[in-house]
Amino acid sequence: MNFIRGVISGQPAGPQHSGVETIQKLCDRVASSTLLEDRRDAVRALKSLSKKYRMEVGSQAMDHLIRILQTDSADSEILGYALDTIYNIICSDEEDEQEEMQKQVDDVGAQFTERFIQDPENITLLLTLLEEFDFHVRWPGVKLLTALLKNQCAQVQGIILVSPMGVSRLMDLLADSREVIRNDGLLLLQQLTKSNAAIQKIVAFENAFERLLDIITEEGTSDGGIVVEDCLLLLLNLLKNNSSNQNFFKEGSYIQRMKPWFEVGDDNAGWSAQKVTNLHYMLQLVRVLVSPVNSPGATASCQKAMFHCGLLQQLCTILMATGVPADILTETINTVSEVIRGSQVNQDYFASVNAPSNPPRPAIVVLLMSMVNERQPFVLRCAVLYCFQCFLYKNQKGQGEIVATLLPSTIDANSISAGQLLCGGLFSADSLSNWCAAVALAHALQDNLTQKEQLLRVQLATSLGKPPVSLLQQCTNILSQGSKVQTRVGLLMLLCTWISNCPIAVTHFLHNQENVPFLTAQISENLGEDERLVQGLCALLLGICIYYNDNSLENYTKDKLKQLIEKRIGKENFVEKLGFITKHELYSRAAQKPQPVFSTPEHMLFDHEFTKLVKELEGVITKAVHKSSEEEKKEEEVKKTLEQHDSIVTQYKELIREQDAQINELKAQVASMTSQSEQMQATITQQLTQIQQHKDQYNILKLKLGKTGDQSASQGEGAHVNGLQSEELSQLREELEELRRQHAQQQTQLAEQDTLIASLKSEAAHSAEAAEGTLANAELLKELEALRAQVMSQAADINQLTESQELLRRAEAVQSGPGSVDNGVDMARVAELEKQLAAQSTEAQKLQEEVKGLNASRAGMEADLASATSTAAILQAEVSKLQQEVQESKKEQDDLLMLLADQDQKILTLKQKLKDLGETIEDEDDLDSKDQSEDDEDEEEEEEDDE
Amino acid sequence: MAYAYLFKYIIIGDTGVGKSCLLLQFTDKRFQPVHDLTIGVEFGARMITIDGKQIKLQIWDTAGQESFRSITRSYYRGAAGALLVYDITRRDTFNHLTTWLEDARQHSNSNMVIMLIGNKSDLESRREVKKEEGEAFAREHGLVFMETSAKTASNVEEAFINTAKEIYEKIQEGVFDINNEANGIKIGPQHAATNSSLPGSQGAQQAGGGCC
Repeated sequence: MNFIRGVISGQPAGPQHSGVETIQKLCDRVASSTLLEDRRDAVRALKSLSKKYRMEVGSQAMDHLIRILQTDSADSEILGYALDTIYNIICSDEEDEQEEMQKQVDDVGAQFTERFIQDPENITLLLTLLEEFDFHVRWPGVKLLTALLKNQCAQVQGIILVSPMGVSRLMDLLADSREVIRNDGLLLLQQLTKSNAAIQKIVAFENAFERLLDIITEEGTSDGGIVVEDCLLLLLNLLKNNSSNQNFFKEGSYIQRMKPWFEVGDDNAGWSAQKVTNLHYMLQLVRVLVSPVNSPGATASCQKAMFHCGLLQQLCTILMATGVPADILTETINTVSEVIRGSQVNQDYFASVNAPSNPPRPAIVVLLMSMVNERQPFVLRCAVLYCFQCFLYKNQKGQGEIVATLLPSTIDANSISAGQLLCGGLFSADSLSNWCAAVALAHALQDNLTQKEQLLRVQLATSLGKPPVSLLQQCTNILSQGSKVQTRVGLLMLLCTWISNCPIAVTHFLHNQENVPFLTAQISENLGEDERLVQGLCALLLGICIYYNDNSLENYTKDKLKQLIEKRIGKENFVEKLGFITKHELYSRAAQKPQPVFSTPEHMLFDHEFTKLVKELEGVITKAVHKSSEEEKKEEEVKKTLEQHDSIVTQYKELIREQDAQINELKAQVASMTSQSEQMQATITQQLTQIQQHKDQYNILKLKLGKTGDQSASQGEGAHVNGLQSEELSQLREELEELRRQHAQQQTQLAEQDTLIASLKSEAAHSAEAAEGTLANAELLKELEALRAQVMSQAADINQLTESQELLRRAEAVQSGPGSVDNGVDMARVAELEKQLAAQSTEAQKLQEEVKGLNASRAGMEADLASATSTAAILQAEVSKLQQEVQESKKEQDDLLMLLADQDQKILTLKQKLKDLGETIEDEDDLDSKDQSEDDEDEEEEEEDDE
Repeated sequence: MAYAYLFKYIIIGDTGVGKSCLLLQFTDKRFQPVHDLTIGVEFGARMITIDGKQIKLQIWDTAGQESFRSITRSYYRGAAGALLVYDITRRDTFNHLTTWLEDARQHSNSNMVIMLIGNKSDLESRREVKKEEGEAFAREHGLVFMETSAKTASNVEEAFINTAKEIYEKIQEGVFDINNEANGIKIGPQHAATNSSLPGSQGAQQAGGGCC
């Protein structure tokens, strides 16, 4: 049996064979065993076989293993074995195998991956298992998911993306306290975020930046290990080409947190390979944020942030530090380049940076020295060129400063200037220096007509005894000497940039009699492959000479140059040669991005800005050359007529504008007028309603008046009289009534007081001595005062009343004005109303008079009261006098009584003595008592007299 | 910029209701009549002041199209506030609110503040959903309601700021756990330093747990 199977399957017998059988058995056990221990042992056995019999285990056990994941989720051990086994099936750790073998194995892995993810639920299941904290589950789970992503990235990403909490769960791995899981989580997230913007954004949303930056800090930034590198790679994944995340990174103030990364000491010792790698990625991360391919606004705001938090300054410190490894230095230069590119503030700062040499030299000069130095590494020289280009990009000020160092008036002979270095590079024997210097100089002229003209003034001293030559002349001289292709390409690019869009420079160029023949010769000759690019550039230069020609040189007008092309080169040939530029294999590469990146120094031929110029000019030059002179004339005529038309159109436009303004003015007037009329209408309606109101009110008033019966006859007709008035009138009437009531009250009060005063008077009259009288008087006085106040307030009320009446009268008069507009009948009614008013006012006056009368009577009463009080006071005084007298006499009497008592005593003692002596004194005793009673009676009489 | 708090918002609702325009009006104070369809999610940020405190708003503007719905779901959990937007000139966008709300309630944390926004209030002549209807819906589901116009900027500031106020109040009431960043709230660096007592003790606890 074994033998037959072996023959049929074509596999060699032996251990392999038994392995297959064992796997089959184990699978059966996994599937059918009811005991967890049994299943667990079987899965463990499968795991141990999975590396050696990967294919077999994969094909037979995969489904069983997945089922284990589904059903045995309670046992972390079996889950771990199952996950490990699947991991072994889908990816191979063996790295010592041959490459071919590896590839084959990877195919196997891809197949099994596909089988695993066929059911998206499996991925969801895996994500759920990752929530299990147990190390035995989580770790193999992370590894498995990473492997799946490695094999079938897009598909697995898609599945994770649509499971709502998928990405969040994976982000939680970064918070795991076990470093192994955190670190493998980083690797997982790296795979997960690969070229999937949606996932990148979710990961960023889940605070990835914060956590990664924290981990980097914890691990010691650039001095940290491979974990820092992994974090940086993940950050790069999240930010590269993801403008939303870049914006989030910037808005989250994370740029500021990058600054400390670059605080690299000057110590030469600490540059481990890991540190170099870390720093390299850190620099890349900075560049991702300010890349020229980002939107200008986003790059600009990041550049600003980098300057403000001191990141740029820190980078410039590295730039000028010693002992920095060359590749880090190169990448730092590239980074600085992009941080300053197109940002005036940053460019200005960069121009002010000095190298710490003695005497201090500007960083720009130091860098340019490296650029034109043959011994410096090629990539470093490219980086310096890039830095210089970025410094000059959209920086007219910087361009002016560079060109100025070449001008005769500003040359400082004592120190090395940027201009000197560039000229030196331009004419050195090193073609790379030639090219770099030419391109650098071209960037100083980019889109800057002033500097193009200024540079024409530059004169060079060649050798002793010969007159100085202009820089332009020297360039063409070298060009014609037939140097290396790189040199000539560089110079031709410089010349093209220089004279394009600058007719004066074109004239200067054409003024040299040798230039045009040289160009035509170059173009027309049938040269080899190597020379094609030079021919193309020569054609471009000649084309620029035609296109930007102002016809100031008689020999080289547009027409003459065209004729020359036709005769010597042929139009078709010329255009074909011109096309050599864009057809060059290196052209499109340079057109992609501003940074000069070349695989070898020989490939250094095109500059990014120059490719833009070519794009701009190729079409127009082709057109210009193809056009015959007649066509051109026609075109010129057309242009003229067009211009005429234009002028006419502008005239009309002007007219229209004026008319527009007039119309607007008129419109404004109309608007104001309509608004005025609206206002007027509004007032009219308002008045109408007022009148209506008045009428209504008057009606009400009339009814009221009808009830009172007062003046009803006269008002019966005047139904529609001013309402406001009637209202006021009724108010007034009410007030009057109230007043009258008050009056009555006061009158009664007055009467009461009168009686009071009368009684008081009588009291005062008949009981002038009584002390109580004074008290009553005081009360009376108080009452009187209150009364007076009342009277006063009443008088004021009355005054108010009269005033309001007057007001009313006036209002009536006013109201009758607009009312008269309505109709005459109203007038009559108003007059009636007036009459009414007059009657009422007389009534009010009557009342006033009454009040006045009352006042007068009150005054009289007050006077009475006053006299009464004065008499009362006099009486009181008398009473008090009498009382005093009485008291005095009482005292005298008391004294006398005392005396009598004493005498009585004496008499008694004397009587006693007499008795003792034996004498009868009865008569005397009687006599004494008689005397005593008589005395008493006298006293009483006296008292009565006193009173 | 220093801030006392940072709030994460999401903007959700049917496609074409003006979510991106609301964000643009709020962050850039401008209106773009023609706006490309949002792909996935876009990010915007702005600083506001509430109760004298600087508050940073980080806003994720989601794509309204059905095909992006599953991606949008990933953003609910970490957000402290959501602007649920419909278009007052398109009744169907109003009718879909229930679905959106169910989605949001299912995937977000329970304290997320949801503000209902009826956008395009400038297009009164084409109105299909009455203001009262929006108010009623909001009342029924316990949302804050407002009609806005991203075009005229009417109520746009208010919509974002009132949502922030609501969140701020919830923080004051202690409803939000501000130390859990998954809630979409973060304390500012300076604020955290002055409030060091609470997070500090928590940090110590965490460190202790890590040792075990």
